Amino acid sequence: MLDLLNVWFISPFDYGFMRRAVVGGLALSLAAPPLGVFLVLRGMSLIGDAMAHAILPGVALGFLLAGFSLPIMSIGGVLFGLMVALLAGAVSKMGGQREDAAMASFFIISLAAGVMLISLGGSSVDLTHVLFGSILAINSTALLLIAGISTLIVLTLAVVFRALVVECLDPLFLRGQSRRSGWVHSVFLGLLVLNLTAGFQTLGTLMAVGLMMLPATSARFWSKRLEGLIGIAIVLAMVSSTGGLLLSFHLDIPSGPSIILLAGVGYLFSALFGRYHSLAAKLRRKTTPLAVEHGS
Amino acid sequence: MSERSLSRLQLHNLHLAQARRTVLEHIEGDFKPGAITALIGANGAGKSTLIQAIMGELRPISGEVVCTVAKERRAWLPQQLALDLTFPMSVEELVMTGSWPSHGALTGYCAGHYRKGREIMARLGISHLAHRPLGELSGGQRQRALIGRTLMQEAELLLLDEPFANVDSETVDILIRILRQMADDGATIIVVLHDMDHLRRLADEVLMLNGGHGRWVAPSALNQHHAPAQVVPFTLGGRHAGSA
Repeated sequence: MLDLLNVWFISPFDYGFMRRAVVGGLALSLAAPPLGVFLVLRGMSLIGDAMAHAILPGVALGFLLAGFSLPIMSIGGVLFGLMVALLAGAVSKMGGQREDAAMASFFIISLAAGVMLISLGGSSVDLTHVLFGSILAINSTALLLIAGISTLIVLTLAVVFRALVVECLDPLFLRGQSRRSGWVHSVFLGLLVLNLTAGFQTLGTLMAVGLMMLPATSARFWSKRLEGLIGIAIVLAMVSSTGGLLLSFHLDIPSGPSIILLAGVGYLFSALFGRYHSLAAKLRRKTTPLAVEHGS
Repeated sequence: MSERSLSRLQLHNLHLAQARRTVLEHIEGDFKPGAITALIGANGAGKSTLIQAIMGELRPISGEVVCTVAKERRAWLPQQLALDLTFPMSVEELVMTGSWPSHGALTGYCAGHYRKGREIMARLGISHLAHRPLGELSGGQRQRALIGRTLMQEAELLLLDEPFANVDSETVDILIRILRQMADDGATIIVVLHDMDHLRRLADEVLMLNGGHGRWVAPSALNQHHAPAQVVPFTLGGRHAGSA
C-alpha cells in the first residue's frame, strides 16, 4: 500500500521537470482562481477567454524577435493584452458598442494575427507549444517568472481587494467616492493579462483560462461567501494542477489538457452534488419545501 | 468645523441637458445643513438629471454646482440601484463598506468599526439580518441596509431617489426617523418623493420641477395653495407601492 502511494505520488517528483512543473502549477493555482472568482461575480466570465486570445500576437512577436524566450514572450503578451483591453474600452466608450462586443471583435483578430505571426516565423511545433503550452518543459527562469508574477498578483489583489469588492457590487458607490475609480478596473484587467502570460507557458494561451475559470465556477456551487469562494477555488485549482500532472505522468497523456480536464471533472461534480444551486440541492429543496422559510 | 449656517450645496443658474436636449434651465438653489429638501415633479421633469449634476456625474451646459462636501461624505441612493443581488455579501459587510472610503484600502476594520456597524444595524432594526446574504433580503430590508452604509459613511450630503418605493410601511417609518436624525446631526438631505404623505412627514423645503424650471415652495404652501385634487394626481402617479 505504502509502496503504491510512493509510486503514484512521491517518486514522480524525483524528476526535476516534475518538481518544477508542480511548483509552477501551485503558484498559478494561488493567483488565478481569485481573479476567476471576481470575473464570475462581475458576469465577465468570457472576458478571460477573450484576453487569453488577445495576448497571442504579443507572445508571437516576442517569439519572432527572440526565439523561445519566456521573459520576452511574456513582455510581448502583457503589452499586447493591455493594448487590446484599452482599445476595446475605447471603442465601447466611443459609443454604441458594448465592451464585450468590442472585446469579441478584437480577440478574434488577435488570435488570427498571432497564429499568422508564429506560422511565418516558426514551425507547427512552435505553434502547438504556444497554443497549448508544455508544463513539463518549464526551466528555472520560467519558474521564477511564474512565481514572481503570481506573487505580484496576490499582493496587488490584497491591496485593491476592498475596492474591487465594492466595484463588483455597486460601481456607482465607488464612482461616487473617488474620481479615480476607473483605476480599479484597469488594475484588475492588468492582473488578468499578467496571469494569462504566466499561464501560457504551462497550459498554453488557450487553456490558461481554464485554471482561472473552472475552479471559480465550481466554487459557486459550494459557498455563498466571498472568502469561501476564493478559498475553495484555490484548493480546487491546486488539486487539479497537481493531480493532472500526476495523471499525465503515469498515463502518458498531455499535461495541460489533463489538468484542465481534471478541473472540468471537479466542475461537473460540483454542478451535480454541490451545496447550492446544484442538481442535488434542487432535489433536496423539492422534498422539504418548508426549509425555504426563514422567518423575519 | 464649518459654520452650520453656511450652505453646503449651491446651484447657480444651472442649465442641464441630456442627449443635447435641454432638461432644466435657470435652476437656483441653496441647500443648508440640517435641511431635508423634497424634490418633486412629474416623470421626466428632470429630477434624476438634477441629482446626476449634483453628484458630478453630469456636466452642466452652463451655471455651476458649488458643493463643499468632500466626495467621500456624499452618498447617492439611486432608485434602480445597480446592485448585484447575487453577490456573496452579507448585510454587515455591506454596511461596513461605508467606512471603506475614509478608512483606506489596506488597514483592516478595527473593533470600533464593527461596534459602530452593529449600532447602526440596531438603529435600523436589521441586527438579526447581519449575516444574511443580500440576495435573501426584501426590498425594505435592502433599503435599510443601504441607508446603514450611508450612516457608516457619515454622509454629509445624501441624495435619495424615491427611497420609499417598494418598501414596507415599517421601513418607511424607520427611514423617516433616521433621515430626520441625520438631518438634525447636520446632514444635507435631498429626497425625490412622489407621495404627499411622505412629503408632509419628511420635507422642510420643496423644490418643484416643472416645464424645465424649478420653483422653491414651502411644504405648507404646497398643501394650501394646491388643492389636494391638483397635487395628488401627479404626485401619487401610481407609485403608491409603499404601504403594500
